[in-house]
Amino acid sequence: MEEYPEELRTPPVALVSLVGCPELHASITTHLHSEQPPINALALPDFSKISIFAKPSKDASIPPPPVAGILKKDWLLKHRTRVPAVIAALFNSDHVSGDPAQWLQVCTNLENLKGVLRGRNVKLVVVVVAPSNSKDDLSEDRMIALRKRAELDSKYLIIFVPSESELQQSLIRHAIISHTIAKFELGNTFSELANSYYKEEGRRIKARLERKNFHSAELNIRCCFKAAVYAEFCRDWVEALRLYEDAYHAVREMVATSTRLPPIQRLIEIKSVAEQLHFKISTLLLHGGKLAEAIAWFRQHYASYRKLVGAPEVIFLHWQWLSRQFLVFAELLETSSITAQHVSTLVSEATDRTTQWEFHSAYYFQLAAHYLKEKSSSLELALSMPETSGEIDGNADSVIAASYVGQFAKLLEIGDAVIMQSLSDEDYSRYALAEGKRLQDSYEIIALLKKSFEAYNNDKASRMAAYCGFQMAREYFTVDEYSNAKEVFENVASLYRQEGWVTLLWNVLGYLRDCSKKTALVKDFIEYSLEMAALPVSTNIAGQRDCGPAGPASLAQREIIHNEVFSVIRGETESASTEENSSLKVTADNPLYLEIDLVSPLRAVLLASVAFHEQVVKPGAETVITLSLLSQLPLNVEIDQLEIQFNQSECNFVIVNAQRSHLAAISCLQPGRRVETAPTLELRTNKWLRLTYDVKPEQSGKLECIYVTARWGQHFTICCRAESPASMSDLPLWKFEDIMQTIPMKDPGLAFSGQKAVQVEEPDPQVDLKLDSSGPALVGESFIVPVIITSKGHSVHSGELKINLVDTRGGGLLSPREAESFSSDNLHVELVGISGRECEDLANSENIQKIQPSFGLISAPFLDEGESWSCKLEIRWNRPKPIMLYVSLGYFPQSPELSSQRAHVHKSLQIEGKTAVVMSHRFMLPFRREPLLLSKTKPASDSDQIPSLPLNETSMLVVSAKNCTEVPLRLLSMSVEAVDASTCDVKAKSKNPEEHVLLVAGEEFKQVFGVTPEVNLPKLNMGTVCLRWRRDHGDGERLTSCSTTSAVVTKHSLPDVNVEQPPLIVNLDCPPHAILGNPFTYSIKITNRTQFLQEVKYSLADSQSFVLSGPHNDTTFILPKSEHILSYKLVPLSSGFQQLPKITLTSVRYSAGFQPSVAASTVFVFPSEPHFGLKDIGEMRMESVAAE
Amino acid sequence: MIVCVAVVGHQNNPLYIQSFTEADDALKLHHIVHCSLDVVDERVNNPKKSSPTLNETFLGLLYPTENYKVYGYLTNTKVKLILVTTDLDVRDADVRNFFSKFHAAYVDAVSNPFHVPGKKITSRTFAERVSTIVKSFGLSSGS
Repeated sequence: MEEYPEELRTPPVALVSLVGCPELHASITTHLHSEQPPINALALPDFSKISIFAKPSKDASIPPPPVAGILKKDWLLKHRTRVPAVIAALFNSDHVSGDPAQWLQVCTNLENLKGVLRGRNVKLVVVVVAPSNSKDDLSEDRMIALRKRAELDSKYLIIFVPSESELQQSLIRHAIISHTIAKFELGNTFSELANSYYKEEGRRIKARLERKNFHSAELNIRCCFKAAVYAEFCRDWVEALRLYEDAYHAVREMVATSTRLPPIQRLIEIKSVAEQLHFKISTLLLHGGKLAEAIAWFRQHYASYRKLVGAPEVIFLHWQWLSRQFLVFAELLETSSITAQHVSTLVSEATDRTTQWEFHSAYYFQLAAHYLKEKSSSLELALSMPETSGEIDGNADSVIAASYVGQFAKLLEIGDAVIMQSLSDEDYSRYALAEGKRLQDSYEIIALLKKSFEAYNNDKASRMAAYCGFQMAREYFTVDEYSNAKEVFENVASLYRQEGWVTLLWNVLGYLRDCSKKTALVKDFIEYSLEMAALPVSTNIAGQRDCGPAGPASLAQREIIHNEVFSVIRGETESASTEENSSLKVTADNPLYLEIDLVSPLRAVLLASVAFHEQVVKPGAETVITLSLLSQLPLNVEIDQLEIQFNQSECNFVIVNAQRSHLAAISCLQPGRRVETAPTLELRTNKWLRLTYDVKPEQSGKLECIYVTARWGQHFTICCRAESPASMSDLPLWKFEDIMQTIPMKDPGLAFSGQKAVQVEEPDPQVDLKLDSSGPALVGESFIVPVIITSKGHSVHSGELKINLVDTRGGGLLSPREAESFSSDNLHVELVGISGRECEDLANSENIQKIQPSFGLISAPFLDEGESWSCKLEIRWNRPKPIMLYVSLGYFPQSPELSSQRAHVHKSLQIEGKTAVVMSHRFMLPFRREPLLLSKTKPASDSDQIPSLPLNETSMLVVSAKNCTEVPLRLLSMSVEAVDASTCDVKAKSKNPEEHVLLVAGEEFKQVFGVTPEVNLPKLNMGTVCLRWRRDHGDGERLTSCSTTSAVVTKHSLPDVNVEQPPLIVNLDCPPHAILGNPFTYSIKITNRTQFLQEVKYSLADSQSFVLSGPHNDTTFILPKSEHILSYKLVPLSSGFQQLPKITLTSVRYSAGFQPSVAASTVFVFPSEPHFGLKDIGEMRMESVAAE
Repeated sequence: MIVCVAVVGHQNNPLYIQSFTEADDALKLHHIVHCSLDVVDERVNNPKKSSPTLNETFLGLLYPTENYKVYGYLTNTKVKLILVTTDLDVRDADVRNFFSKFHAAYVDAVSNPFHVPGKKITSRTFAERVSTIVKSFGLSSGS
């Protein structure tokens, strides 16, 4: 775009000329520039210079010369810089109103100016410059005279008052008629006049256009162009666009018709004009925001001129022209105001015919580069022609651009005169060739491609970018910038590698290979050569044009490359192009080491798969390893030596090719290394080379094969990372090929699941670890687990005993959250302590002993063969829970200095934790004594939960303890520990047994306590029942050993009770037994404990078993703090357990009824007098109550 | 005239690429086909809102290069069929017709029990069939 003249690139700006008063020109010019739209000013210091406006005299009698061209080159420039639209004649007011001589001068100047302007349409403005202090001095007569002389409308006679204070011109138009002075902008007048000038000019030209009286197409085009330019001056963009388009179409039509110039130059001229017009059209369209139209226009432009190649000898000019079209349009797109975010919406609007890429400048840059490349190659071809090569340097320098756009002329100097002579096509071709030769296209191509490359990358069009990059790198390559080329090629190659475009990759690699050869990078050269040789290139792509230095992609070419690279590798210098390869040598000074990892493109060159035949192996035992090598190189390759490296370096070994063992490669081995000899190590294309050897690992742990290193000659090494067959991925490029696939191992099982690593076990322990346990553990006790270590062949050095307690169900740790502090509340089971039999031994030596609730670590003492040692683990259960106890012993069979192999013995034991004793309790009221507890009469649910006890009355508490285990337990004692002895009196009604009670499995033990609450509390804490017990071991001998373990206390907390004062107490009184036929007294004593008179209703039901005397039902009043006795005489009528007549009492005040319980109102009737003492029976009855 | 047809796998790897020019510029056509994958990606990732059918396999004109027009077609298995032609004025119907035949040929080729999915198509029958289709394309557009 920069090569276009400026007047073409910028929108037209009106031109105004200032004449006279030079001191004001600078300020006026600046002001006009800042106008909107801006106005350019052409300043002439005085009136003597006005002759430049004069029109060249044209003699009307001479017929117009034949049209010599389409557009004059300098016409636009002339209108931009030399032909003003408006001339402002500036006169000093002193001169206007001064003496007659000055006035005369003014008049003369004005006359001269008018004379010059005659015949032109240029507008005239007369400006009288009046300093502010003297503006009133102007005489009206002079002003009128001036106006008349100038033949001007009054509004174009302006009085201009330059304000000195603020450099801001205030312009005063002196309206003589109205005698008013109005302030106006000088600029407004100018722009108004300029506009009308351009409009008139445009109209004039258009009138000619409409008359269509042209005798040549050239004139038509010229007129269209001029009219369009005038329209642009008037900022009538639509009109300008239309006229430019007309001109453009006319130009296109000229291609076939014009005969004015010799054919080559004719086409050149037409293309140049079309280019200019197209540039104008595109600019206007893009500035108008019509992106899609601009693109459509460009496409049409391209389509109509693409085929106009012109003469074959200067075909490069066509390519150059096309390239320029693309470049200019790309630049226009780039600078156009329509930014990328609009593009997406435009794309969706665009029809199917335009594609998205056409909205990106990258596309045009790319094509510009493409055509430039085309140009440079055809130029090269033209220059190499024998008939042209000799003579182009001749007299070409005298050719210059002629005065018409796209024309050239020969400059002839005849004496002093310079004559332009038209050229013949031959001369022109020579000139064009000479011009073309001077230019360096490559860098321009690179610059264009780089722009395109970056733009595509920004658009995430990586493949387009890769193509641009490839072309760019190729250009670098042709200008011998190998390092730049290599960098870009590498970038591109990685994409092609990734997507498997083998042919493209081959081509790029060929360039890369050549780059590294030219820059003497041996390693790169060999890597690229090997990669190329191992590419899956078949022969189906026949010959290729511009296939680069690699040659066509074919099997034969691969073989050539293969041979070439191996001759370099082996240091054989007898290769064909010795001089070129002289720098490429692998020697002792310059050894080469290649590494192939899992993502390397060289995996196809050498792939090493290693599998152990076993998964687990004992230390010191032999295991079999199979090593499989695969290569896709086109020819067979003989490896001199292979080295297999493991993570345990003592297992490393070397395989030597028997046929090549004479080579000195083996000399670089470390001494003491195992060396195997193979009859041959020949790699054949796509055939696995399988080698099987024994390996004897010594150390336990993991034995992994890491590298397989292949050597060729003394100085070339490929280190290949070993892969497991089980997890081996396909070769990246070969996986798309339709070739036979074989498995690396003969054994298919191994081929699919083989691993390159083997687990080496620990040495077998020869120590016995024994865990003993006596049945389930009981909650609360310290459970003892004896651990016995017995040496059976190994002596135990620095043994360590690890103890772990693990929840059998969850597998988790025993504490809910280990991070929290270990409080015994959280822990269901904890390891309390470890005691050894040789405690003193442990204490003496600096042994580790670490105990945590679920983990313990202690050290075992040194044990010689046959010795044993034991310790006891003390574990406490806080909750019933089964746990797994893991004990492991780690030790050194020899003293640690000799061997680092630790042996481990593991043992585990599941232990159930059980609750030993389940306790329950029950409250009972005294027999046949019923206090009225008001809380019981209420149906509130709250009272259900808390038992109520009468105040100062003795109630019974029965506590029972049941053995839930299979183990017999011995109870030591049971007691109630009250919280506060003063609130409640608890006494054991039965004595603690002197001999400890033996409680076998499932048996229950009961104890009765008398409870007398002494404080009236709604919630009385009754305290806790403590049961002390221990495991009963039966025989006395074991008992002693465990006697260290103290008795276990199981606690059972009693619930709170509600203590209340009973208002009434009913006592039933009757003898413990009766005898048939013998009368006895049954009395009911009602005690009123309140301060109130109590009304009590009672009724007695008849019973069949008894005859009774006394009141049946009545209401009675009981005085405060007194008692009332209802007394009945009963005669039993039948024997056995008999129900006494049922009494029902109702307290009116509390509306509470009372009925004695069935048990309380039952009596045993003997048929006759029994033969035992009454006293005994009474005690027996008491016992039976306690047992209930 | 069709100068190149290609089948590109769903990992954007070429499965079959065949040029039909005398000019011996196969490499360039490879580049063009490869570049057109960018446009396919772009089309697939940002489908046109105005697209008539969601499951349209025919992608239309992918991009114009200096001398060629590239058309694309995307199968349900994300296999791309690419056509490069030098004709400037091609009717969409012709191209659609071509692609449907080409697709059918591809389906038949990969249905061969000896063909391993994802590998290059080396079947000679397929190649013959494709070249027949290519030739018939020239005829139908000429008529």
